[in-house]
Amino acid sequence: MTATSAFPATSGMFVDGAQLPKTVKVGGVNHYFGEGELRSQALFDNHLEVRRGEIVIMTGPSGSGKTTLLTLIGTLRTVQEGSLKVLGNELNGASRDQINKLRRDLGFIFQAHNLFGSLTAHQNVNMACELVEMERKESDRRIRMLLERLGLGERINYKPDQLSGGQKQRVAVARGLVHNPRIVLADEPTAALDEKSGREVVTLFQEMANDHGCTIIMVTHDSRILDVADRIVKMEGGKIKADSAVQETSVICEFLRQFPLFSSLTPTTLTEVADMMRVETAEAGDVVIRQNDPGELFYLIRTGAVDVVVDDGQKTRTVAELKEGQYFGEAALIRDEPRNATIIAKEHSVFYTLGKADFTRTLGRAASFREEIQQALFSRS
Amino acid sequence: MPVKLRKTPLAWKNLTHDWRRLAVALAGIAFAVLLMFTQVGFQNALFDSQVKVIDDLHGDIFLVSRAKYTLAAEKRFPLALVKQAASVPGVHGAYPFYSELTLSRLKNLSPNRRSKAFPIRSIGIQLDDPVIDTQSIRDQIDKLRVRGTALIDVHSRQANFDFPRDDDKALAASPAELADKSIKLVGTFDLGTDFAHDGNLVMSAESFADFFPQRVPFGDPLSVVDLGIVDVSDDADIDDVRDRLDAVIDDRVFVYTREQFRDKEVSFWDTSTPIGIVFFAGKVIGFIVGMVICYQVIYSDIADHMSEFATLKAMGYSRGYFIRLIVVEAVLLALIGFVPGSIVSYGLYHVLAGSTGLLMRMTIPAALTVLVLTLAMCVASGLLAVRKLLSADPASLF
Repeated sequence: MTATSAFPATSGMFVDGAQLPKTVKVGGVNHYFGEGELRSQALFDNHLEVRRGEIVIMTGPSGSGKTTLLTLIGTLRTVQEGSLKVLGNELNGASRDQINKLRRDLGFIFQAHNLFGSLTAHQNVNMACELVEMERKESDRRIRMLLERLGLGERINYKPDQLSGGQKQRVAVARGLVHNPRIVLADEPTAALDEKSGREVVTLFQEMANDHGCTIIMVTHDSRILDVADRIVKMEGGKIKADSAVQETSVICEFLRQFPLFSSLTPTTLTEVADMMRVETAEAGDVVIRQNDPGELFYLIRTGAVDVVVDDGQKTRTVAELKEGQYFGEAALIRDEPRNATIIAKEHSVFYTLGKADFTRTLGRAASFREEIQQALFSRS
Repeated sequence: MPVKLRKTPLAWKNLTHDWRRLAVALAGIAFAVLLMFTQVGFQNALFDSQVKVIDDLHGDIFLVSRAKYTLAAEKRFPLALVKQAASVPGVHGAYPFYSELTLSRLKNLSPNRRSKAFPIRSIGIQLDDPVIDTQSIRDQIDKLRVRGTALIDVHSRQANFDFPRDDDKALAASPAELADKSIKLVGTFDLGTDFAHDGNLVMSAESFADFFPQRVPFGDPLSVVDLGIVDVSDDADIDDVRDRLDAVIDDRVFVYTREQFRDKEVSFWDTSTPIGIVFFAGKVIGFIVGMVICYQVIYSDIADHMSEFATLKAMGYSRGYFIRLIVVEAVLLALIGFVPGSIVSYGLYHVLAGSTGLLMRMTIPAALTVLVLTLAMCVASGLLAVRKLLSADPASLF
């Protein structure tokens, strides 16, 4: 018995996920725009879990649905189908009061600064403090701290029309962070900023994530800040194509590199392979694959251990024990034969699986890579 | 600048941020205020002129025939009732007041100003009774002791009564006839015209009886009075005396205090004639104009800040906050628009009073009426415009 999840292997959900509470849980979310004949689906069966203190970067071409998903998580759109839990609150069917209350725990940073021209930088930021009824001294301290950190210490009492575009954007960043939100949703927060202030903004994000367990979800195309991401979610055509925990992805790549047939692959290709893998789990005693069944999947053991059992016609014997980081199931795929052994889980185990088609395609790439190198070497000599 | 924080006064800040826009907004609201003040002013002026004669009378309590639905209705009651009123405790004195309109026609016989006979209100008083407060009459009371003399109201309609008003000698020399009897105009006094009366004469009761003997067929023309004017003793309470009179006196008359009499007369003109409706319509138009202006101001303020408001919504600000915000903005607009509006109106009142002779006065109740209307107008348009704000969609910000 194995349980297949809808989550990709790289999501890191099944490794150490249990220790940290999830602040955002997206389960089977579909979304549609328009009415009647004009109705078109913008999101297709999306699953995503984000942990407390994680910095998630969402990427994808425009129209891929990342903004729609972000607005859904941010309670700015009504959930139509599926389940969406934010900070433990189910948004599907939530009342306006519940949503207004929840919004106070969120911080928004929009691409446009949306500052009131009539208010100073300080007053604009303070609008966020007033809503959560922060004490005046405390809010004043935090506003000054944030604006000073963002290089606006001299301009605390300036109005937006006395500030440059980048400075306005930084005021908007301060407004999004000042009330210590538990989730920050940001749309290209660094697009209008120079290198230095962009870096200061993401450093603030990291501090909030590490010190306060604040979850940061941002849409960005700014490659300068990709390094802060704990997880990168790629969307395409309304669906999450890849959900890679940066840490977990590198672990998988390391494991895959151990597999001789993949050892020649570049890190980029290995990452792509990792993204194609799905998660399966098994409890002690579960049969993962059975001898003589057709081979469909290649398995990588993420955690746990399995026994390899071979039935040679007369008796059954355990030929080997495989552990974390080891793999099985490749022989049947390479030779296109039935399984030559039965695999039984010895304890609770997590596997990352790669489908047959993806596996053989990857092998082909590995081969062509080898040929390429041979070609290169040949032509050099 | 010191950092002062309670609630950020966003309504005030947004309103005063762009002074050009504020100036235009205030000009618009001030204009609506002016429109309403003009209507209220004219209405009050016209009503005031209807009751000017009451205001000029001296008494505290008035006896009025039950059939007399307005001052201009010639319904009378016996002099005996006035005498009876005089004997009631607390009454210092009760005096008759005579007036005549249907029989009273004044014809100018001056060679170059000759006219046909036009109706004019003749007022007859016992010269020694304290009936009229008007200073110009009291000063000339002795002139009226000669029979066949009268004072003419300086405000009498010029086209009908073309007498030399500035010059008493020339006036006295002008030949004239009242009810086909020769009359000598010995001076002028100051009362004013109204809807029913184009002019006024005041004379002694004796002269009055001479001019209008047919007032009472087969009897003393002074035996029926138009009003009874009651002077209450200094130590008596007017309301008590009124109640006592009302209990004692014949059912043919109403017993009114000054306010009651005045209110009843105003209410007749307000409700029983089209005047009230005309001015009501005027006020409604002012109100609507103001509402349109105010709506435009608030709506464009909202429309220009849609993404900012949507951001506040995303932050978790509730509908209630936005409604309060707009109501406060509307009230502020009303209050600061009212100030220039009422100042300009005050000036206009002066100009109009000078040119029309109407009593254009900015009274506290009138100003309060307009202020309340202005507030209602701004708040109503704010509430109409707030729907736009509530439609702000934070999802559009991404």
